[in-house]
Amino acid sequence: MSLSSHTTKPDHATDDASSPQQLSPSRRDLLRRGAVAAGAAAVAWQPHRAQAQEPAPVAAMRSPNRVLTFAAAGEPELPPLEVIALNRIAFGPRPGDLASLMALGATSEARLQAYVEQQLNPAAIDDGACDALIAAQGFTTLGKSRQQLWADHVIKDKVSWDERMQPARETRAATFLRALHSKRQLVEVLAEFWHNHFNVYGWDSWSAGAWVHYDRDVLRGNLLGNFRTMLGDVAKSAAMLYYLDNVSNTSAGPNENYARELFELHTLGAEHYFGVASTVGPGGGYLHPAPKGPDGKPLQYVDEDIYSATQCFTGWRIHKDTGEFVFEDAVHAKYSKIVLDQNIPSGSGQQDGEQVLDLLANHPSTARYICRRLCRRLIADDPPETVVQAAADVFYAQRAAPDQLKQVVRTILLSSEFATIWGQKIKRPFDFTASLLRAANANFAWSDSFNWRYEAMGQAMFSWRPPDGYPDRKENWSSTMPMLQRWRACNWLLDGWKMGGDGADKDNPRIDCRGQMPATITTPVEIADYWIDRLLGRPMPAIERQAIIDFMAAGRNPTSSLTDKQIDEQLRLMVGLIFNAPSFQWR
Amino acid sequence: MFKTTRRGFMIGCSSAIAAWSGGLNFTAFGSAADEPNQDIVIVVFLRGGMDGINVVPPIAGADRGHYEAKRARIAVPLSGQNAALPLDDRFGLHPGAAALHGLYQQKLLAFVHAAGLTSDTRSHFDAMQYMELGTPDSKASSKGWLTRHLETAPGAPAQVIMPAVAVGNQQPTSLLGSQESIGMTSPNDFNFGGHWKYGDAQRIALRSMYGGGSWLHAAGVQTLDAIGVVEAANPGAYTPGNGAVYPNSGFGRNLQTVAQVIKMQLGLRAATIDLGGWDTHEYQGDSGAGYFSDKLNELGKGIEALFVDLSNDNGACHTNRLTVVVMSEFGRSFQENASRGTDHGHGNVMIVAGGAVNGGKVYGNWPGLATDALYDRRDLAITTDYRQVLSEILINRLGNPNIDQIFPGYSGYTPLGIMQAAGTTPICVPVSPGEPTPTPMPTLNQRVYLPSVRR
Repeated sequence: MSLSSHTTKPDHATDDASSPQQLSPSRRDLLRRGAVAAGAAAVAWQPHRAQAQEPAPVAAMRSPNRVLTFAAAGEPELPPLEVIALNRIAFGPRPGDLASLMALGATSEARLQAYVEQQLNPAAIDDGACDALIAAQGFTTLGKSRQQLWADHVIKDKVSWDERMQPARETRAATFLRALHSKRQLVEVLAEFWHNHFNVYGWDSWSAGAWVHYDRDVLRGNLLGNFRTMLGDVAKSAAMLYYLDNVSNTSAGPNENYARELFELHTLGAEHYFGVASTVGPGGGYLHPAPKGPDGKPLQYVDEDIYSATQCFTGWRIHKDTGEFVFEDAVHAKYSKIVLDQNIPSGSGQQDGEQVLDLLANHPSTARYICRRLCRRLIADDPPETVVQAAADVFYAQRAAPDQLKQVVRTILLSSEFATIWGQKIKRPFDFTASLLRAANANFAWSDSFNWRYEAMGQAMFSWRPPDGYPDRKENWSSTMPMLQRWRACNWLLDGWKMGGDGADKDNPRIDCRGQMPATITTPVEIADYWIDRLLGRPMPAIERQAIIDFMAAGRNPTSSLTDKQIDEQLRLMVGLIFNAPSFQWR
Repeated sequence: MFKTTRRGFMIGCSSAIAAWSGGLNFTAFGSAADEPNQDIVIVVFLRGGMDGINVVPPIAGADRGHYEAKRARIAVPLSGQNAALPLDDRFGLHPGAAALHGLYQQKLLAFVHAAGLTSDTRSHFDAMQYMELGTPDSKASSKGWLTRHLETAPGAPAQVIMPAVAVGNQQPTSLLGSQESIGMTSPNDFNFGGHWKYGDAQRIALRSMYGGGSWLHAAGVQTLDAIGVVEAANPGAYTPGNGAVYPNSGFGRNLQTVAQVIKMQLGLRAATIDLGGWDTHEYQGDSGAGYFSDKLNELGKGIEALFVDLSNDNGACHTNRLTVVVMSEFGRSFQENASRGTDHGHGNVMIVAGGAVNGGKVYGNWPGLATDALYDRRDLAITTDYRQVLSEILINRLGNPNIDQIFPGYSGYTPLGIMQAAGTTPICVPVSPGEPTPTPMPTLNQRVYLPSVRR
């Protein structure tokens, strides 16, 4: 996809100005740092509506197909491209991020391209501040080698439960800190994606003890690299070998768990499952029943492929003393196999499994499946086929390239679909929490009480038991329980009593709203508009903005200055309302 | 279609609220005389593929021989401490599910063997979606089968405050697209947690902000309504009745939530609960013991406690209008694997329990376990479509004959005879607590060495 497609795209700011719901006359004004949205002064004071009774219902709220259709009213406006970029390539903007992005070029398209290139080359980004922050935490496992992790946290004599869990716990805390502070935001976004794609439950003893290796070397080490390499590293990791039982997959007793999910979740995807069907043709010989691609090879898989692949992976195990991958020929199935119409001759040992990984990683259906999932994360729940196919073409063509995945991600981020689709997705709890703490410039430190609130939202880190990873569609995160817990977590984060807390509470995240707001901003309208701009980087729909102003005014004149006491009492709660508003949930 | 009064309740102008203010009373939502569908269905979904062959194993005949040959280590024995509990002359019950045996003997519980989803898939995720959407081989529907039931139930009362609840963090696919269901873990925790002074103002602001027309706005309003309903009912801490002891687990707590909601008399018609941990590829437990036995114990003790709790609620026999149906996405391979576990299979057993169940019987046309009788020469075949079992519950007890709408494309329904006919009022069977043995839950140590037994 070339950037030139952006030149014909309607200007975001023009869109905004033409909408009666929007207040900002131009994106340039909107993005001028420190500026208060220009429409603010135009809002006339109105008598405050009675708060004793909640507003009357809106007739449209019970549209018959809430989950999968979009009502015209209330659909979010397309934000400026820079806001889209920071919400998808990063976990939302920190203070100053939008200004930095604006300085990267003369047009939105140029800025996006520069930002994407910057983020695709993380080694060139100075991340010293974040590194120092993590170094100050006193973690001891993040730098250990695979063997050292195994020795200290898995097989050590009388290793305690805490010691077993330590690598996973430190990785979890570091992941939060990086999401909040690392300048290599795309790496963090993709790390979350690949953890979800190659999901492993992190809190079992074999996985937790070696978790640093899985996170640091296997996933992060490959996320801008080559998919086949990553797939192989995953297949040979202790985390995956134990999680999907391949450690006990032997010739005498095959265990198909890994092979099945390798096909269904890691490579071809369930969308390319032909189902239970025989591979015996009418003449009694081998005949794969699935439709064939141009090369004559099956585009879909059947259960027989899984059973044969299971045989190919027999003997793929972990050396009990070192934690390293080991191939045990003694338990390997020696006879020849056929996988996806490809003959795998006898006597090839470890190469049997390697050939299966080659077949799958280099399969056009894998390209489509992986790219659909990437586009789902980076663009929309149901991404258009155009961008999925464009990315899949790159994935397939560059399958041997050492930077294959970098090229794929670039294709997606610079697509016209990336720039023109918004609001067909909401933030998951991790997106929500990270973006909230970033936007609020929270003085965040990991604590168990924070984690307790975080996990209540339903996306506990490294904790999804089934192998498919956390769902990445809006209907999974918009039923009453996730919605309520999201609001509750925000209420807790913005609750005033943690301000400057000490004692047992000293580790809780602290958000100093008053200190971040210029003293000259004193009226409800000014305060609301300052924080809306500050936290969202764009105007809010009028209905949301008015509710924020009404809350801050609490029956007083919204254009008259509030007292210090009034601001202190309500400001944090008002900021929390912006975080809990629909506008902050879109992605 | 159920018409919720949550909205009406919130703004204080509903007639149902008048009934409420005089104390909670089920008849506020219609009486038995003018309302055919007061029954409640609780759908328990066992995620991961439950090994039905080991829940209800053969105990006699040639199939017993096949069973012991294919499952040399994990077969449930016929004698000894972990012997199968007899169900009839063909089948026994895994001893871990002893609590269900009591309900079976009281004729409150029945099994349907060789039941399930007929689609040719051994994928967890495909199978669960097909089953819960109620549309085998298609994922096109934007609504689950329970959603369609709630939408098409005729003669439903004009006003119901909480017709459906999905207990847990995630709403299951069977309730996909439902605007009337509430997802919650526990009523006690289902509150806004707002500021002590500005909490009302926070909620008023949220209601304004979510007043738009998109699906997200609707989700926000639905959540605010649900908070209002649950808070108004002022649930408080829950004490099970009649000495019922629920398992000390998420599943046990979720069942208590259902019991509490039923007793709150909010008009509940359907509830869903998930229980994971059935994907037993490894070390599921030899000879009737081990992980799988503990898992069944949790399931059985939980269902038993629910019946103890609800069979006498100050004289009300809630179990008479209760049908619990237990299902899983598929059964497991007949042949045990080398890891002393089982792989993904096909046919399974379904469990149906309730006051209106013609219990004490194993239903279904048993296909046998000879290799030629197996599905794909590998797994238990399916002779009863899971939709047949659900349809009988829907028609006979939930007052909804619109099977063609609930399960589009499903035809040829005939009743198994597992449910008492519509309109009949079952005789209330009091259920007393079974053996007061503590529920053994997987310990920390077991988790360490059983990394793979999971959903």
